[in-house]
Amino acid sequence: MSVVSPNTTSVPNPPAKRPFFDWRVWTVAIVLLVAVGLAVLFGVKQNAQQGFFGMRLFPLKTAYDFKLQGANGAEVRLDQFQGKAVLFLFGFTHCANICPTSLTNLTEVYQALTPEERKQVQVVFISVDPNRDTPQTLEQYVTSFDPTFIGATASKPAIDQTVLAYGGSYEMVAGPTNQTNDYSVNHSAYTYLVNPSGKLELLYGNEKLAEVSKMVSDIRAVLREPRS
Amino acid sequence: MVKSVRLFFFALLVLNAPVLRADDQVAVTVQRPWMRAVPDVMDSTAVYMVLVNTSSVPAELVGGSTTIADSVAPMITTKEGEGLKQVVGMQGVDALEIPAHGTLVLEPNGNHLMVMGLKEHPKEGTQVDFTIKLEPGDHEIHLKIPVQKKPVK
Repeated sequence: MSVVSPNTTSVPNPPAKRPFFDWRVWTVAIVLLVAVGLAVLFGVKQNAQQGFFGMRLFPLKTAYDFKLQGANGAEVRLDQFQGKAVLFLFGFTHCANICPTSLTNLTEVYQALTPEERKQVQVVFISVDPNRDTPQTLEQYVTSFDPTFIGATASKPAIDQTVLAYGGSYEMVAGPTNQTNDYSVNHSAYTYLVNPSGKLELLYGNEKLAEVSKMVSDIRAVLREPRS
Repeated sequence: MVKSVRLFFFALLVLNAPVLRADDQVAVTVQRPWMRAVPDVMDSTAVYMVLVNTSSVPAELVGGSTTIADSVAPMITTKEGEGLKQVVGMQGVDALEIPAHGTLVLEPNGNHLMVMGLKEHPKEGTQVDFTIKLEPGDHEIHLKIPVQKKPVK
């Protein structure tokens, strides 16, 4: 191994000293300061606009006008609730955990609103299991949570179209006995909030619904928005 | 050689037997159990609770029974897919583990005991006789579970 002798480093000439008031440095500093200031201001403003608990969609688009069957042959259409904030979710009544949990939470949210606000809010539970859930069963089911809640379902093609329009999904899963009527349904567990102008505005994963006060403040914010 | 190996394992088994038996004593306590009050049209419901294992061996919740329903089964909540396409469902499992010196939480939207084939409708504000089955040792804990719409605060 050869020993490498370190090169003697030549000391470079010291750079010419810049004057303290170099206009280039100050220009850059001021431009940066203004940029950061603007970014902060803009960010705060954005936050104030988007300070929603739910996942806010942007740009807002007109929500798909679902056409389903409610109890006693009544048609349940999204458009009939124009002027109201509509909270709807997919599920099925043989669901023992997620659906009753979501509906219990939504009941609490709904009942935390003032009577005046409640008149402007509609909760709709859409069954993706028309095979077992008749509109009558659904009505008994949802009204046991709150008498104003609406249950609806439809033929499979209409359900599929609705689920698809909202980007959701569901699938039937065989139960332990493998009998025809022993199945469970894995389904999208989002709650969709359509604003009074009929635009799909906010989405909530099922676990978010338990945060009652945050849900209530979102709904109030949506009700206060200028109508388009 | 084979014989001596067998003997060795047999000895091991015999020597360890008292220890195994001592560990068979499932030391699990139940906290805040409740059964969900559900609409009359529903033929199933769920039971939630916190199981605390105070022993140094893991235990398993393998099932349960109640006079008001046909069957009780441990279930987990499944999530498949991402974003809007995510589907949430439930799936029966043979057992739910309660780790040694740990807890198993059964709660809305999560793990639970599904109560299937309701013969009698659990009324809010009443209590239901409910038995949970644990392993090892085919252990049973008998409970009186309140029926309510929401978790115990």
